Amino acid sequence: MSTESAVDPRTDCTADADGRITFRLRLPSPTRARLLLARRHAKGRPEQESRTLTLEPAGSDGEVRAVLEPAPPLAEGRWDVYLLRGPDAERERLRPGLRDVRALVDGGLRDRPSPLAVRVPYATTDGFLAVRAWLRTAHPEASRVDIADGTMTVHARLHGAVLSEGAAGVLRLRGDKDTVRGFPVRRAGGGFSFTVAFGELVAEDGGARVWGVFLRPAADAPLIRVCRLLDDLADRKGVFVYPRVTVGGSVLRPHYTVDNDLAVEVTAGG
Amino acid sequence: MKISFLIHNAYAIGGTVATTFNLAGALAERHDVEIVSVLRNRERPSLTPHPRVRLRALVDLRHEKDHPLHGRPAKVFPAAEYRHGQYSELTDRRIGAYLEAIDADVVVGTRPGLNVHLALQAPDRVIRVGQEHLTLDNHHAGLRTVLRRAYRRLDLITTVTQADAESYRRKMRLPGVRVEALPNSVPDPTLPAADGSGRIVIAAGRLVPVKRYDLIIDAFARVVAEHPDWQLRIYGRGEEKGRLRTRIETLGLWNNVFLMGAATPMEAEWVKGSIGVSASDFEPFGMTIVEAMRCGLPVVSTDCPYGPGEIIKDGEDGRLVPAGDTAAFGAALLGLVRDDGRRRRMGGAALGNARRFAPAPVVARAEALFREAVEARSGGGRGAPAHSGLAHTLRTGGHAARDLARAAATSALRTVRKGRR
Repeated sequence: MSTESAVDPRTDCTADADGRITFRLRLPSPTRARLLLARRHAKGRPEQESRTLTLEPAGSDGEVRAVLEPAPPLAEGRWDVYLLRGPDAERERLRPGLRDVRALVDGGLRDRPSPLAVRVPYATTDGFLAVRAWLRTAHPEASRVDIADGTMTVHARLHGAVLSEGAAGVLRLRGDKDTVRGFPVRRAGGGFSFTVAFGELVAEDGGARVWGVFLRPAADAPLIRVCRLLDDLADRKGVFVYPRVTVGGSVLRPHYTVDNDLAVEVTAGG
Repeated sequence: MKISFLIHNAYAIGGTVATTFNLAGALAERHDVEIVSVLRNRERPSLTPHPRVRLRALVDLRHEKDHPLHGRPAKVFPAAEYRHGQYSELTDRRIGAYLEAIDADVVVGTRPGLNVHLALQAPDRVIRVGQEHLTLDNHHAGLRTVLRRAYRRLDLITTVTQADAESYRRKMRLPGVRVEALPNSVPDPTLPAADGSGRIVIAAGRLVPVKRYDLIIDAFARVVAEHPDWQLRIYGRGEEKGRLRTRIETLGLWNNVFLMGAATPMEAEWVKGSIGVSASDFEPFGMTIVEAMRCGLPVVSTDCPYGPGEIIKDGEDGRLVPAGDTAAFGAALLGLVRDDGRRRRMGGAALGNARRFAPAPVVARAEALFREAVEARSGGGRGAPAHSGLAHTLRTGGHAARDLARAAATSALRTVRKGRR
């Protein structure tokens, strides 16, 4: 539990399709208050980056607003949102009110320029307001995942780069960069797909392992992680749930990680 | 007026909690309002009460779970009530002490067992209002017998639908007790309404069998076959989650149907959608239907007892289909998915028609009912309600006679209580 006191009433925010976020809250004395966004780091490591926004009075009932403009983009990570009531005030962590993120729902349907900057306001598991940010030069956005007959077909759309000859869907073993499996890419409409044979992911000894799903956009090009970032959900791990498939005594399950990366988990059947 | 609401657990999520917070918050604009929660199991309530509403708890389960009195079964809270297992001699005593010391003008019970507490333990100086958030027919015979006896000592019973009020009047024979419908209210939305362009169908509520999310998923399979770019999002948590997940997998709908978990407030979720759905076999009111409509969504619902039929006008602001009929539900849903114009028109109608469930008209109704009960008690001489007719005069007469009887009964009860100490 944080020692920083929480502020009520809650902070509403509205996200635009182009990445702008408008924060709104009510303060008893709005003078010289600011909003602070601080990028969270792993436990024990200091925050490296922060962004301060002016809270401007809006309306007569004590409402103040701050706008986070699309540029410059936020560095990738989780940004916690704080209130600074005055120049020397302690920062106070804000709780979320209404998060109007409807403009983000269909974000995967249009082409995005490079670099691809994504921001999704969300409520942390302990109930505070934060912004999840991703920043990618190129990004394969996953859509459907079809599972049938011991295979998984990943449908995706590549933003910020083009597919070239020799493009492949690649699964790479977590913790072992040299163990990879490649699957040919098919183009369809504005997107592409590849079909992964689950049998190729099972270990000979039947042991547990996790495969990350990547795209190699051209022969010899570096791998790009396949994820799903372009909608209103900052965390889809518990929402996008795919069925388990049993292959050769092992159980396989495609899933999204806490970072919205597509992965395949292999566990011993039983 | 000073108004005190007595509720089972204000810290949990549920329709009764939401509607009580809404009504209490709206009343607090002009009255002194508190919510008294019998039980408390967490630091903060899941829903946020209006800042002017005071919230307190009688038994804090975080510290008092092992209180010796909490291990003994409740005697005042009726054994026939569904929640009896969560009540105890400790809750009996705390509720009794709260009512004995009460300085409110009106005390409002929010479930049958608590209404019985009011009937038996609230002093004469306070108006006793029993709210029925379910329906009379839903209670089993044993509880109905207890209520028939106890509810004679209430001043006012409010139901959430006209149909249930009629059922109480017809079946309960409660001379002198006024029975009136008081629908649940839904706060005025603060976000712009949905514009009908979304391709998400939304359902929300506890994941329990009576809500028939299985039927919604089955019906949605038809939508996906024709419109694979549409999603169904189901918000809520509960015991059915595992079974619903299995159903989604069996039907191969994992790319289109999502179990979202609980979301509060729901307003920011409704506006992402363009159709609301409810497939309950039984829905005393239908709070989520009104919430969706207030956000501009037409709602496809089963026409189950009693709420949906008093909220939705079939073909105008939503669709009503027979309960349990998956094919009819799927056809109604598809009718709105296929036709953007119709969906938008119905969404606009829903927005307008659902204003009758806004806090203002509902709280005005509650205020009038409470005030009339106070005036009826004080003799009815001054400020008798404008719509007062013969029936009301008779009721008022009933009150007077009953008051005498109750005064005698209450003083007898007090004597018994004192003797026990």
